Amino acid sequence: MVDLKASAETAAPGPRPAREVRGSLWYDAWLDLRRRVLFWISAVILLLACAMAAFPSLFARLGPNEGCRLRMSKKGPDATALFGYDLQGCDYWSQIVHGTRASVLIGVAVTVFALFIAVVLGLVGGYYGGVLDAIISRVTDVFFGIPFVLGSTVVLVAFPGHGIWAMTIVLVLLGWTTMTRLMRGQVIAVRDSDYVQAARALGASDRRIMLKHILPNSVAPVFVVAMLNIGNVISGEATLDYLGVGLQYPDVSWGLQLNVAQTFFSEYPHLLVFPALFLTATVLSFLMLGDVVRDALDPKLR
Amino acid sequence: MTVLNKARGAAVMLAAALALGACGGSSGSSSGDQAGQGGQGGPKQFSVALNEPDHLMPGNTSSSYSITVLQALFDTLVVLDPSGQPQMRAAESVTSQDQQTWTIKIKPGQKFHNGEPVTAESFADAWNATAYGPNAWTNNYYFTNIEGYADLNPEAEGAKPATDKMSGLKVVDPNTLEVHLTEPFSQFPITLAYTGFAPMPKAAFTDLKAYDQAPIGNGPFALDGAWAHNRQIKVKKFAGYAGARAAKADAVLFKIYASRDTAYTDLRAGNVDLLQTIPPASASEAKKLLGDRFVPTASGTMDYLGFPVFDKRFQKPELRRAISMAIDRQAIVDAVYSGAFKPMSSLVAPLVPGYRETACGEACVYDPAKAKALYDQAGGFTGTLNLYFSNADPSYEQWMQAVANQLKENLGIADIQFRKIPAADYLSTLREKKEDGPYRNNWVMDYPSPQNYLQSMWGEGNRMGWENKEFNDLIAKANAAASMEASVPLYQQAEDIALREMPMIPLWNWQDQAGYSGKIGDVKIDAYSPNLDAITVK
Repeated sequence: MVDLKASAETAAPGPRPAREVRGSLWYDAWLDLRRRVLFWISAVILLLACAMAAFPSLFARLGPNEGCRLRMSKKGPDATALFGYDLQGCDYWSQIVHGTRASVLIGVAVTVFALFIAVVLGLVGGYYGGVLDAIISRVTDVFFGIPFVLGSTVVLVAFPGHGIWAMTIVLVLLGWTTMTRLMRGQVIAVRDSDYVQAARALGASDRRIMLKHILPNSVAPVFVVAMLNIGNVISGEATLDYLGVGLQYPDVSWGLQLNVAQTFFSEYPHLLVFPALFLTATVLSFLMLGDVVRDALDPKLR
Repeated sequence: MTVLNKARGAAVMLAAALALGACGGSSGSSSGDQAGQGGQGGPKQFSVALNEPDHLMPGNTSSSYSITVLQALFDTLVVLDPSGQPQMRAAESVTSQDQQTWTIKIKPGQKFHNGEPVTAESFADAWNATAYGPNAWTNNYYFTNIEGYADLNPEAEGAKPATDKMSGLKVVDPNTLEVHLTEPFSQFPITLAYTGFAPMPKAAFTDLKAYDQAPIGNGPFALDGAWAHNRQIKVKKFAGYAGARAAKADAVLFKIYASRDTAYTDLRAGNVDLLQTIPPASASEAKKLLGDRFVPTASGTMDYLGFPVFDKRFQKPELRRAISMAIDRQAIVDAVYSGAFKPMSSLVAPLVPGYRETACGEACVYDPAKAKALYDQAGGFTGTLNLYFSNADPSYEQWMQAVANQLKENLGIADIQFRKIPAADYLSTLREKKEDGPYRNNWVMDYPSPQNYLQSMWGEGNRMGWENKEFNDLIAKANAAASMEASVPLYQQAEDIALREMPMIPLWNWQDQAGYSGKIGDVKIDAYSPNLDAITVK
């Protein structure tokens, strides 16, 4: 962050005294964020979702697929079961809580891996340019051209026995392209700025220039897209489960619950409503959070 | 063995179905609307929902959808009445002294749609073609017990048979066919009701490929125009029909759908008049919606849970019985199939002669405590229990999950995994004995005889790798019995052995659910035929 501050000061030496941390883009963003209601709503929902994913036993009465009484199949809410029972007669509330882990874990893991790939490839391609950039860009184009549902269905059907990690790999494989393109564009935009040239003139190595000068100044928009991406990945994962090519028993996930509900929802709407509610709330929170973070990080929108 | 082909999710098929649905819905000139408005002076026509048949050559298909069309196009020698008893149709009589040499007398004066007379030769030609190995037709194995079958099916791969005629078929005169079997088989007359035994005219043999697309039969309906793949098959009343079941309607339009769910939606919308396969999960909704026009019919189709007995871990009958007793069949049927299917305590379906309601006894009654005791006594089960099923229908996964939960809860088997196999690879996985855990086994009845179930699934060379000489001997003895009545007790003894050893657990018996629109009447669907000839258009 040092360079941004430095460049800002050289460009417009204001009266504001230089404060090491407080003047940074991220600190300003935080000041902006904490005034926003939307930020707090989505943050609370996401904290809850993460807590459910990390410690489901704090929330759920029973373990996953535990204590199922088939004779209670599809019964609505009652005194012992807040959300009623699912097709297998398991306590629906417990099942939905256990379903959180798959969604949140896959959403976050996929985004972290994809972000890492995007940052590395975008940085290298954008900074060096030339043949390396051409190769990276063309490979990105190839993956960009694969339709999401079709591509993942083909891969997942070809390799059965897929768990959470197989799903993560497939979703990363099909999900790193947008961020890579964005990162590359950002790097190219700042590559020739004055402070980069100054650093080069002072004899800084490529690695130092990339990590210390270019990366901090180009990653903010990519970071925002990554936040939005978590929501998309979660709904993508649920889509694949729903289509029957994603997770399968004994895993528990919202997508699987929606898959079962599709046959029975006209007579037993609670099967559809509860997992849909959880899925929508989580996805929406990630999207809203991404939105407000973008507003906060982009000074032009202020 | 017939396997319902319920391929789902194929994008192309789905697109085709959507397109079909779209034109059936609005445009006035479409065939779908004609189907509904046949009453006003025009030809009296109704439509029947189908999935795409695989073939229309009688010898080369066992798809239930093809059979629906073939039953309109062909008169077989024998038919089964609603109670499963054989009745003569194209035949005058089917008789035998020793259950091994059968004399078939054919009713004179019957004609094919192209005017050719139906003779003993029409049957002999069709059967020889089906049994001819190099043709590789689906129903080939139905003829294994006719003398001379082996000559048409040489053991060596790719070898050309010395002859194309079975020595066991003798055309005595135009109306008499004599059949010599390799061993006595008292159930032979029932098997003749299967469309695989339908006759073929001489004209068929000049171009068999063309015949598969446009079969010429001897039934009350004749094909009208070409088979429009994935769209429709049209048949019209055959004017020269001399048999006992002349068609009441002028024409029938078979509309082809990619899935039974789409077809059901179209039935509700009034775009199709008859659907024989309402999805089980929609049964209660359809009952409310259609009232009297919802027709549940008994079916011979059964679901089983088979064990790979060739795998050491499943060799103890006690373990297999314990698993059987740990499964709550009634609860599964209620949850997954809206109670439409019937939990089974017998290896054969209720409509089969010789069915006993509680043949299985205690071993098929849900009793977690006894199951657990038996399981412990058998030494339990170690390792991962893999459950095998195909992805052809989502309900398979749903009931397998219930089974897995119950085995976990009642027997304490902790590590249970699913092996969901693509539908196209499922049967070959089982045939090659690649499975290492219990698997879903489905049986669609070919003809109502205990032999069709017992010998096909538990007999020599079965999928489970289960061998029992006493069982095989009893089946052979029953096949040779002097009459069908005399064979039943012997089949029952064999069934008792299979139930005691339990290499395969009976689960439930399907029920077919048909529904029809208000535009047609006299719908008499039974387990053996939709009887399209009897249907009238209002």
